[in-house]
Amino acid sequence: MIPPSVAPPTRRAPTLAASTLRVFDLSLGQMLWSRRSAFLAVLLGGPVLVAAALRLASISYGWGFRFRSQQVAGDAVFGMMIWLLYVRFIIPVLGVFYGTSLVADEVEDKTITYLFTRPMPRSAVLLGKFLAYLVCTLLLVLPSVMLVFFLVVPTGGGSIAETFPSLVVDLGMLAVGLTAYGAVFAMVGTYLKRPLVIGLAFALGWEPAALLIPGYLKQLTVAHYLQGLVTHEMPQDSPIAILLQVVREVPSVATSLTALSVIIVVTLWLAAWAVERREYVLEQ
Amino acid sequence: MSLTARTRHFVVASLLVLLAGIGAGLAAYYMRVPLGVFQSGEPQDLRYVPEDAALVAYANVHDVMASEIRQRIRRAVPMPENGQRQFQNETGINIETDIDRVLAYLGPASAGGSGANADARPSGGLVLARGRFDEVKIETLMRDHGASVEEYNGIRLIANPAAAGPMGDGFALAFIEPGLAAVGSTPMVRAVIDRMTGGSNVTANEELMSQIRALDDGTAWAVGRFDELGANARLPQQIASQIPPITWFSLSSRIGTDLRGTVRADTRDEAAAANLRDVVRGFVALAKLQAGSRPEFQAVVQSLELGGSDKTVTLSFSVSGEVFDAIGAAARPPQR
Repeated sequence: MIPPSVAPPTRRAPTLAASTLRVFDLSLGQMLWSRRSAFLAVLLGGPVLVAAALRLASISYGWGFRFRSQQVAGDAVFGMMIWLLYVRFIIPVLGVFYGTSLVADEVEDKTITYLFTRPMPRSAVLLGKFLAYLVCTLLLVLPSVMLVFFLVVPTGGGSIAETFPSLVVDLGMLAVGLTAYGAVFAMVGTYLKRPLVIGLAFALGWEPAALLIPGYLKQLTVAHYLQGLVTHEMPQDSPIAILLQVVREVPSVATSLTALSVIIVVTLWLAAWAVERREYVLEQ
Repeated sequence: MSLTARTRHFVVASLLVLLAGIGAGLAAYYMRVPLGVFQSGEPQDLRYVPEDAALVAYANVHDVMASEIRQRIRRAVPMPENGQRQFQNETGINIETDIDRVLAYLGPASAGGSGANADARPSGGLVLARGRFDEVKIETLMRDHGASVEEYNGIRLIANPAAAGPMGDGFALAFIEPGLAAVGSTPMVRAVIDRMTGGSNVTANEELMSQIRALDDGTAWAVGRFDELGANARLPQQIASQIPPITWFSLSSRIGTDLRGTVRADTRDEAAAANLRDVVRGFVALAKLQAGSRPEFQAVVQSLELGGSDKTVTLSFSVSGEVFDAIGAAARPPQR
């Protein structure tokens, strides 16, 4: 008798979650030690240096941040730094530089073929890299904010104990902002061929402009929902405060969180969908 | 996870910074730990000030004495130094060279008194001076002036009941820490020694502490409850009723090559603040008119800046050293 043929054991393809983690594992180190991270370190070192200089001036000479000959408390200075440096500049710029490059870099380096030939869902490449972006930026941004907090808040009579709850909110808000901007620009990177220019124009051109225009245009920005999570009060009578009063149509926290969640889920889904279906033609 | 060693180190370092920061912040938030290493501008000796102090004042004596503006003031207006000499004769402390910083306070108006409603707490003021003191010499000098030494809660209290004190409680001095002298009436010094072992102090008074923290990190400052000070001053009813309803007042100044300062008053409501602002604006306008004929004062008057919002009224000023030179020159008799 001829024994019945035994089918050779087949290796099951890894799940989306397992593949995502594998790509994350591979990408985190690459991302952390890339030239982009050197730029990121410079970008995040700036606020820390400013904070250290303020602190040093406060200790050595009793100088502080003054407005109309009034000493501004350290917590207000910290709030301004969070709003003007982190929320309005660093977070969108990081989102643009990292988010647009998640897939675009692999296409440009012609290495995307190697990733797509692996037995795993194509979307895992995007999701794994997005996760690596998130961990990489959070590990750099949050300690930077922490250092700025402890350097700046005690100056001018600010209190660490009283300001600490708003620091916790800020850290959460920055994490949400990094996720939202990263997701938006990851989508831009999967659809467009030269996504960096478009991304910069969106983050530094469209968003600030749309926030100043009365009406519904601001609802087409990430910054509009992000500012609903900012807890800091601007110093009264300042040009910044006056400017903010003009655009003070801030959504509620619940609206902001819902809108940001929708933005993150929809843009990531669209990006993953594009990666799954798009034919990437590598230029020779 | 197959992270490389340097990636792992980076992740751990980053997480450590985050966790240390959150831990320190939580400790500060829940236990109201002062975080002395992080805090700037807040004198540590505040822990000896009672929670209900009516006035707290601070001066960096070393910076004031070494400042250029003080030299100019001395040249312009030579002042008699009798009080300073008398203090040195009685205590052996040279204010100019021995003292670095001074923190003073006034007790609440309700303290002290007599009769059935007498408050058991000591009244009056006390000065906490940090500097370099020759304790043996000071004790000997004070004994020579009739003081006696007693041990109070393990601290040597040098008290002179015959010395003239503002409340008639005599005069006492105690070194409560190395380089920290408490000077005041005997009951007040005793109260400070009691506070060394714990109990509430002014750092628990959030209202007063927020006033202190709101001050410029100045060379000298003072914060007080206006109503308490009014009660301490025991003003006649007619005058007291004319005083605007100010709750807190503060003065902060920086003394160096010039003298810059801010006077701030917190009123009971916004209407009172607006009234007070109008009154001050009137005085500033009057001063500007008067200064027209006195060029040496013009720069000072021009520097006056009225500000504040809501219930706060502020008046900032700046006096350059040249102003005192001009005053000195104007005060000197013309040479023939």
